[in-house]
Amino acid sequence: MTVDERPEGIGAAPAEAEMSLLVDVGSAWTKAAAVARSRGRWRIVSHVAQPSGWGEDELRAALAARLAPVADRRVAERIADLLRGVPRIACHTPRRPGHIGLAAVSSELSGDAARRAAESAGWSVVEAATADDGRSLSARLAALQAADVDVWLLAGGFDEGRADQALEMAGLVAAARGGAPQPVIWAGAESLTPEVALLFEEGAVQSVANPRPSAHRENPLPLRLLLEEMLQRMVEPGGVRQLTPVSFRRGIAELARSSMRRILGIDLGAHYLTWVLADEAGAAESRVFADGGLASRSLIAQGGAGRLSRMLPLSIDELAVADALRNLHARPGTIPQTDDELAVTHAAARYLLTQASGDAGSVEGVDLLVGCGRTIAAAPRPAQAAHLLLDGVRPVGITQLAIDTAGALPPIGALDDSEIGEGMGVLRDDLLVPLGAAVVIRGGRPGQPTMRVAVHRTGWPDPAPIEVRGGSLQVLPLGRGQAAELEIELAGGVTLGGTRHGRRVRATVSGGAVGLILDARDAPLALPRRSEDRRAVLAGWRDTFLREPAQPVAVAP
Amino acid sequence: MNGATLHRVRIPRGASPTVRVGTDVRPDQVLAHHRRPGAPRHVPLAAPLHADPAHIAGLLVVSPGSMVAEGQVIARTDEGREVQAPTEGLLLGVAASDGSALLSPLGDEEPVIGHVRGTVAAIDESAITIEVPGVLIRGVGGTGSAVHGELAVAVHDPGEELRAAAIDVGATGKIVVGGSRASAETLTRARAMGVAGIVLGGVLDKELRDFEAIQRRRREVGGLTGSFGVLLVEGFGKVGIDPQRFAWFRAHAGRMASLFGADGLLYVYDAQLAPGRRTLPRVGERVIAHRRPFQGRAGVLVAELEDLHATPSGIPARMGLVRFEDGRLAPVPLANLEATLPVPPA
Repeated sequence: MTVDERPEGIGAAPAEAEMSLLVDVGSAWTKAAAVARSRGRWRIVSHVAQPSGWGEDELRAALAARLAPVADRRVAERIADLLRGVPRIACHTPRRPGHIGLAAVSSELSGDAARRAAESAGWSVVEAATADDGRSLSARLAALQAADVDVWLLAGGFDEGRADQALEMAGLVAAARGGAPQPVIWAGAESLTPEVALLFEEGAVQSVANPRPSAHRENPLPLRLLLEEMLQRMVEPGGVRQLTPVSFRRGIAELARSSMRRILGIDLGAHYLTWVLADEAGAAESRVFADGGLASRSLIAQGGAGRLSRMLPLSIDELAVADALRNLHARPGTIPQTDDELAVTHAAARYLLTQASGDAGSVEGVDLLVGCGRTIAAAPRPAQAAHLLLDGVRPVGITQLAIDTAGALPPIGALDDSEIGEGMGVLRDDLLVPLGAAVVIRGGRPGQPTMRVAVHRTGWPDPAPIEVRGGSLQVLPLGRGQAAELEIELAGGVTLGGTRHGRRVRATVSGGAVGLILDARDAPLALPRRSEDRRAVLAGWRDTFLREPAQPVAVAP
Repeated sequence: MNGATLHRVRIPRGASPTVRVGTDVRPDQVLAHHRRPGAPRHVPLAAPLHADPAHIAGLLVVSPGSMVAEGQVIARTDEGREVQAPTEGLLLGVAASDGSALLSPLGDEEPVIGHVRGTVAAIDESAITIEVPGVLIRGVGGTGSAVHGELAVAVHDPGEELRAAAIDVGATGKIVVGGSRASAETLTRARAMGVAGIVLGGVLDKELRDFEAIQRRRREVGGLTGSFGVLLVEGFGKVGIDPQRFAWFRAHAGRMASLFGADGLLYVYDAQLAPGRRTLPRVGERVIAHRRPFQGRAGVLVAELEDLHATPSGIPARMGLVRFEDGRLAPVPLANLEATLPVPPA
């Protein structure tokens, strides 16, 4: 196939090019990027997104329509047909989440730890029985018997002692399971492992380290890894690498390794939310929330609408918010057409990101934060994407922000080990759209000075240092490809997290579609309690993001 | 007639099917029996077996989850000491705290009713699959349990609200098709009047929650009888039923139907094909819009705009120009439109 690459739209001569497609089939939207080699260089030459229900032919037709103006006119009319035959690198959202039946001793300790480990591994807990859930034993048994599960998860007891109730719960699961073939995971007190195994037929029970080994410690990783492995083996036996949560993790890990940066990637989809933190060596830890996307049941649960209403910068009736969330749940592939619906969708996205951040409500020491998924990466304006990422994740420190507008990162992660590095390398310039950099502080008092930032750019006069007060933020212009040296002076009680303990910090940042964001809103975000004050603060932050960045005042030479 | 649809009726583990593959079943037919385990009895093991309570699990000779008969040995030591079940029941496991076995006597047989008509296609441990000779309408939400009854239309216009006054004794046992919404009061009255189910275009989330809360409270005080289900076919909020679909419901008033509120399904038996829906409408097709500000409105897609255009919210999208039935012409994202397919001639 031939692509006439004309960045300015005119004047360039046709050039021979090879082409392939990167396709991410989501549960609601499918993203496709056409990658072509032109004049020796691979580029993303076009990308489209459409509801997944529209099908392959429409996807090719849409891509062809985008490519036609830049393609060699000899093939322009045949592009859709030609696209049918080009190599395709694809990934897809799991066809269904795995279903877990959970039995634990305590709903707040063992049950909560096991549930979070399961949900972050991509499983959906369809029934949970705990010894303190207030139901009678027979009611618990009836509920467990009625549950349609792929795996039973048993948890309870601390490693240092016995928990006879854990054995009783195990017996309950044995009774509910009744010899059916579903595997049983024992993730409770280590000392009870042989006794639990005796309750089931030989080979049915797999034991794993206790996710709550003591009252004050959690150790969810071994259980999470086991559940991830089981999910891949049992629910998606066809191909693990092509599952978007897996390929996204591989993509982020490779990006971190090749750029030697600590990267946090977030893919917020209709049903899944995948959270990947990868270090400079390419080691990645991921959490997959099977019900963490925009159609999440948590948003339509009792109190969900009220919670979101409090996060809106607009005054929208709570009843309308509730209906909008229900409609989003029912039809996640539709588009928020009005400002109100967009505000509700973005509030939902911020809430989901905050939930995924965990109890801390923030992360520290991330060099690059990458946002994927339509709601973030296809936000109407780049500043809205930055706003979602900063409010939802609260990356304390100095962090570059970027979005995967073309949806190309997950398919690249589906390449095999020998190709993923090359794929990432050749598309490095096009893969992500840089939004700029953010300086996010923790601490500081509202209205009081929290940091003074001097921004030095080569060839520009040095502006006066910018003072940012607690509870506010500023957006400064810093375009894509521009670098700036920052000299940050922090007020007492204010930190940039991680290992940066000094009062004065120097850092080099690069710009993007939004610029440089100086964010002194604390982490987690501190909001006024009174609804009118809170709405005014939220609207102020939104307006700051959406305003054209203000040029800092230059210091007279 | 529409082709048959497979419907899965979940059965609790341990339930005994009363039908076989190939059996024709009625909506009110019992498909299986299930005996719920009652309050468990503690059967002492440690003392009679002279064993450490912490290790009695290893002395069981019957696996937890097994049915045991009265007098059956449930635990035995190497020395030959044994304990028999004092009654028939389900062995739940052991309570290591006091060294006893938990034996749950089973209650009376409870029927599992499928609420669908058809032919049993498959039976497994967790479900009975039935081939249903009816038209399936999928809703976007709902609440309540599985019910069946005759379809009845209780509003004159698909955009009309279903009011409590429209529910009378004639609606008892029926599945009532309403219009654009119903209040919690109307739903409560319908249930109290013995209505089997309600089909609506939309309902306010708050009304549905209020209704569910009322039902919960009534269940807690023990005043709730019978089953009831609600199905929404268009969306949440005040959303009328698409007139084409409403006309189909009206034409099928009097037919038997099965409604599954929580699953969002409605089967109508002996029915002509229902007006279908398809994503990605084509120019000239009749469409229905989802999401505000046009949610639930029908019209004709008169053009597809070239390139991407920003919605009022600023999201670039493929847009179509829709002439709504009230005469308005408006651009709408194609992703928010569904083509409403006409009923093919019989």
